[in-house]
Amino acid sequence: MLELESVTKRFGGLTAVKDVTFRAAPGEILGIIGPNGAGKTTLFNVVSGFYAPDGGRVRFDGRDISGMSPHDICVLGLTRTFQLVKPFGNLSVLDNVMIGALTRQRSVSAAREEARRVVATCRLDAFAQSRARSLPIGLRKRLEVARALATRPRILLLDEVMSGLNPAELSEMIMILRGLHADGLGLIVIEHIMAAMMRLAQRIVVLHHGEKIAEGRPEEISRDPRVVDAYLGEEFVLADA
Amino acid sequence: MGALEQLVVSTVLLGGIYALIAVGLTLIFGIMRVVNFAHGEFLMLGMYLAFWSFTLWGLDPYLVLFVAVPIFFVVGLLTYALVMRGVIRASHNVQIFTTVGLSTVLQNAALVAWTGDFRFVRPWHSGVVLRIGDAAFNLSQVVAFLVAALFTAALVAFMKWTRAGRIMRATAQDVEAATLMGIDTDRVYRLAWTIGLVCVGIAGVLMSPLYSVYPTAGLQFVLLAYVVVVLGGLGDMMGALIGSLIVAAVEVIGSYLFGSAWKEVIYFVLFIAVLVFRPAGLFGQRGAETLGA
Amino acid sequence: MIGRREWPALVVFGAAALAPLVIRDGFLLDSLILILLWGAVSGAWNVAGGYAGQVSLGHSAFFGLGAYSAALLATRFHQSPWLGLLVGAVLATLAGLVIGYLANRLKGPYFGLATIAFSQVLLILASRWRAVTSGSEGIPVPFRPGLWTLGFQSKVPWVYLILALAVCVYLVARYLETSRPGYQLAGVREDEDAAEALGIPSRRLKVAAIAVSAALTSVCGGLWAQYVGFVDPFYVFSVDLSVRFALNSIIGGIGTAIGPFVGSFLITSLEIYLRATFSDFKAGLIGIYLIIYGCLLIVVVRFVPQGLVGWLGERLRAVGRYARA
Repeated sequence: MLELESVTKRFGGLTAVKDVTFRAAPGEILGIIGPNGAGKTTLFNVVSGFYAPDGGRVRFDGRDISGMSPHDICVLGLTRTFQLVKPFGNLSVLDNVMIGALTRQRSVSAAREEARRVVATCRLDAFAQSRARSLPIGLRKRLEVARALATRPRILLLDEVMSGLNPAELSEMIMILRGLHADGLGLIVIEHIMAAMMRLAQRIVVLHHGEKIAEGRPEEISRDPRVVDAYLGEEFVLADA
Repeated sequence: MGALEQLVVSTVLLGGIYALIAVGLTLIFGIMRVVNFAHGEFLMLGMYLAFWSFTLWGLDPYLVLFVAVPIFFVVGLLTYALVMRGVIRASHNVQIFTTVGLSTVLQNAALVAWTGDFRFVRPWHSGVVLRIGDAAFNLSQVVAFLVAALFTAALVAFMKWTRAGRIMRATAQDVEAATLMGIDTDRVYRLAWTIGLVCVGIAGVLMSPLYSVYPTAGLQFVLLAYVVVVLGGLGDMMGALIGSLIVAAVEVIGSYLFGSAWKEVIYFVLFIAVLVFRPAGLFGQRGAETLGA
Repeated sequence: MIGRREWPALVVFGAAALAPLVIRDGFLLDSLILILLWGAVSGAWNVAGGYAGQVSLGHSAFFGLGAYSAALLATRFHQSPWLGLLVGAVLATLAGLVIGYLANRLKGPYFGLATIAFSQVLLILASRWRAVTSGSEGIPVPFRPGLWTLGFQSKVPWVYLILALAVCVYLVARYLETSRPGYQLAGVREDEDAAEALGIPSRRLKVAAIAVSAALTSVCGGLWAQYVGFVDPFYVFSVDLSVRFALNSIIGGIGTAIGPFVGSFLITSLEIYLRATFSDFKAGLIGIYLIIYGCLLIVVVRFVPQGLVGWLGERLRAVGRYARA
């Protein structure tokens, strides 16, 4: 459903993403991992339309979306979250999610209903009227997911939604994401922490210095010498799930 | 060709003064990351300082310079403590309206105190015309240029070779790192602000024999200064110098072709054009990403 | 849409509507008209500055366009000033599209500076282009009695006309607080990238907001020109005027519908009071109230950024929470 074909992105002299090719099938959970600076977020920025690729193509349902604007891509069914979360700080949690819902709903009341549903799905009911700015990081990450979810995507691009969460929040998040997956939603998840990824992903793509160095099932990846090599020096990453 | 010589000489002389305004602004913007909407008002105050000294006590503007430096230093310290310190880390909107408010207060204080009449400072040297070849210019312009060049050079040297200057440049590059290294960023900001104001105040004194003095005189110059600063690359001293020459050239040539009445339109259009087409400056500087969308 | 939220507006506008029935004094009615008019302009500014987050310091450009359109159509082309309002709105919308383009290219303070530059270009054009605009002397707007020519002998029709304008501006603001595009705009204002990622066409919305703001501002300018009877380029295109539009909104409550009117009430009353008290001191007085405004701006934006209405709203919510606890 989502195809990346030789995607390349350069910034001046630096090639952040080089010749990356992979596919995400409908409804699957695909993980993207790699050490810091591997180009994961840049890849998301290209896929979601914040950058235009310098080479290669991105296709969604067969349609070339390379260089389309982010809002058009969202309307097509691909929504992303941000690694450094971007809540609408002065608005309530419910309003945040509702603004997401307004992409599909024509009326404010329908959007609000939809938002209530999504807020419930993401276990944010207790905070629905709280100002987004007042939430701690764990709940902000959940809000980020909820808001993206309200746009009724077919694929959700999640950028490190699990980092910074304590174990209880982590379990909740994984439960929420698994629930979404069970409903048929495709997830592409960037994670820095292998342990969390192992519990969630069906397939994993590994990036290093902007290039894809491995792709496969979690068990295969964790044993792949190239992957282990890339993570050398990164301490707590390869902890067993 | 006579006209060319004249244009070149005028450009250099004008560029020198713009450089003085611009390096002060570059300092403020580069280090504090604040767009000071009131910058032109301090220029205007410098002009009035020269005017009143000249009118009341017959002091030549170049003598006033010596007094202007400490006066503007104090003004800088005061305005920093009262107005700027609280808004350094505030949102853009707060910074905008704070300096806009300051600009309004200063402009209208001048209006109330000294009326909106156009004033003139015409010491003996503003009437002395010098010639090199076909180019004519007056003594005031030359002295203004020399003094401005001197101050600018001193400032550049200060930034480059003194410890304080290095500390300020470090803070401009990375505030957090600077704080971690034990640099008192509040003092750095205060110094940057104050030096910036001293520069523009002195520029005002130097320019008083060359322009008319009135409360809103600062407006055209502040936009000009921002054109220079943006063209030269934010926070880059050398860039500000080169930008000054370019802007001076545009003004001189524009006046020559279209007449000086449309000078202001040229400033404004140039300003918008630079921001839209070359927000990163001619040299593509760091910090420019805050300009573009 | 008429509900609990509307009571401040009902009080304010209701009082204004009833005022001419009790007040006969021309001076007080004039004050009321000015308060409503400046409130309406500030409300128009607020559409771009408060709701869309695009802080313009050059809105006098649109005000002046409206004023000149009305004046020129009446004097030079002998048309009804109502047509002038329409022409002004069209011109201002076009100008708004230009400013909207700039808003998508420039951030924060740089956008502010560019809008100042734009308004000053118009000022210079208006004061120099004698052939069209009578240059720096300005244009006196002729008084011709009649509804079609907006010539009213008494102030009372003006009160209701400007009140209607004010209510329109207020309703536009309320629309932005309750409608789909309004909520999406709020998202753009809070975080443009996040809004884009959620499917909101941020650039388009910003431009639309600025265009609407421009059109409304120009209508205010056109009506003002008719009411006051004289268009002076150095006033209608001034930076001080632009700042004043923003000031009312900031004091009253940026991003609230009634805030600009509350701010205008305070600021305009202050100005009228000072003008009346120091009426012998012409030039000096003008400076004084602007100095006060400048200081107010600095203080309010730092300590009460949400403005009076915003602050009151928070207090009331806090009281409500306390009462419920």
